[in-house]
Amino acid sequence: MSLHPNPLHSSAQSDIDEIENLMYAAPVLPARPPSPPRASIPVSSTPFVPSNLPPPSYTKPAPPAPPPVAPVLPPISSGGASGDPRPAISVDGFGSPPNTLTEPVWDTVKRDLSRIVSNLKLVVFPNPSREDPGKALRDWDLWGPFFFIVFLGLILSWSASVKKSEVFAVAFAVLAAGAVILTLNVVLLGGHIIFFQSLSLLGYCLFPLDVGALICMLKDNVILKIIVVSITLAWSSWAAYPFMSAAVGPNRKALALYPVFLMYISVGFLIIAID
Amino acid sequence: MERIQPPVENYANPKTCLFHVLFKAGALAFYILSALFFNSFVIIFVVTVLLAALDFWVVKNVSGRILVGLRWWNEINEQGESVWKFECLDQESLARMNKKDSWLFWWTLYLTAVAWIFLGIFSLIRFQADYLLVVGVCLSLSVANIIGFTKCRKDAKKQIQQFATQTIASRFSSTVQAAFSVV
Repeated sequence: MSLHPNPLHSSAQSDIDEIENLMYAAPVLPARPPSPPRASIPVSSTPFVPSNLPPPSYTKPAPPAPPPVAPVLPPISSGGASGDPRPAISVDGFGSPPNTLTEPVWDTVKRDLSRIVSNLKLVVFPNPSREDPGKALRDWDLWGPFFFIVFLGLILSWSASVKKSEVFAVAFAVLAAGAVILTLNVVLLGGHIIFFQSLSLLGYCLFPLDVGALICMLKDNVILKIIVVSITLAWSSWAAYPFMSAAVGPNRKALALYPVFLMYISVGFLIIAID
Repeated sequence: MERIQPPVENYANPKTCLFHVLFKAGALAFYILSALFFNSFVIIFVVTVLLAALDFWVVKNVSGRILVGLRWWNEINEQGESVWKFECLDQESLARMNKKDSWLFWWTLYLTAVAWIFLGIFSLIRFQADYLLVVGVCLSLSVANIIGFTKCRKDAKKQIQQFATQTIASRFSSTVQAAFSVV
């Protein structure tokens, strides 16, 4: 015997249906817990986003229950999971977790290294996806830039005969601060760029200059240095061009690109002048 | 001195805990002690920052997952926007996490940041700008991890609450449904 009049019954019923739908559709949603958009994360200083045990595709050879979806669904979905039949537990949740304990450092390191290499190839060498700059550095990482900046600093410091420590510190600070400022410059020009992606990009574009600095260190001939530095400078600028120019409107391209050239030219001079 | 085995559980993942602490302690120790042995700033800088970076990586990818079941990362979606993602283990596993592990995790995380702040103040007092650079880098790495994991934990709590509300709602609805079907 219902204590409630019909209309309430039917609306209650549809409410129930709705809730059930939500419940059983839930598996799909909670998988991605709502996370704040970029702007809210202060991390002005996270240099590194090393291996994000990334979205499933290439991980772990033998995860017990093949969980293509890394995040764990709340147990509520274990009943009506339309997606993954999750054994509701534990550590599987991450899709590749403790297995990385058994193959700890080596595999993750390999994955990270391969990511660095692929990012490098995307940025510095000619390839089709350069036309679509946004796509190129989709999974940015900061390890590559870190290595390149430190490497450049070390080379400059080694080539210097006096004040080695200062040279290193200055080189590192200039490059790091320069990358940050260049990114800010684009943002202030009203461009659409993602902070870390841009840092990552500018760091990777240092690779040619690294090569140039290495050559210059090995052969101490001024003419050779000038030639090598100009070539690598042009290469670096060519690498950085499409990404930076795509980020701002057409009438502001020069404003965005000029500081980049300036920074690379000054690094080039540093390489030539050091002795 | 006899070893009293406390009735509390021991560390569940001693190796992970060890690594979690190792690089942090290594970076701090190297920075503090190196001034006694090395004259070269470059070596100090490179080794300290390298250890700090390794520590960041270990905490983010290994000990975060294993000790407290949290993970955070950044993705760039199709629209080209950067999205921060947070993940946590489901509730049961979270409840089963070793208390000592997570205690160690959080405390060392905070203590390291505080230690770097102190070292930063020292170098500021002594007007050593280059050492300030080292401290700055290491501090920012620690702070980044703290922020990431704290947000992750808050997100996990929110998820748990949502889940709880949903469970209550579903129980309620099924009870109501049962009541109605009986009638």
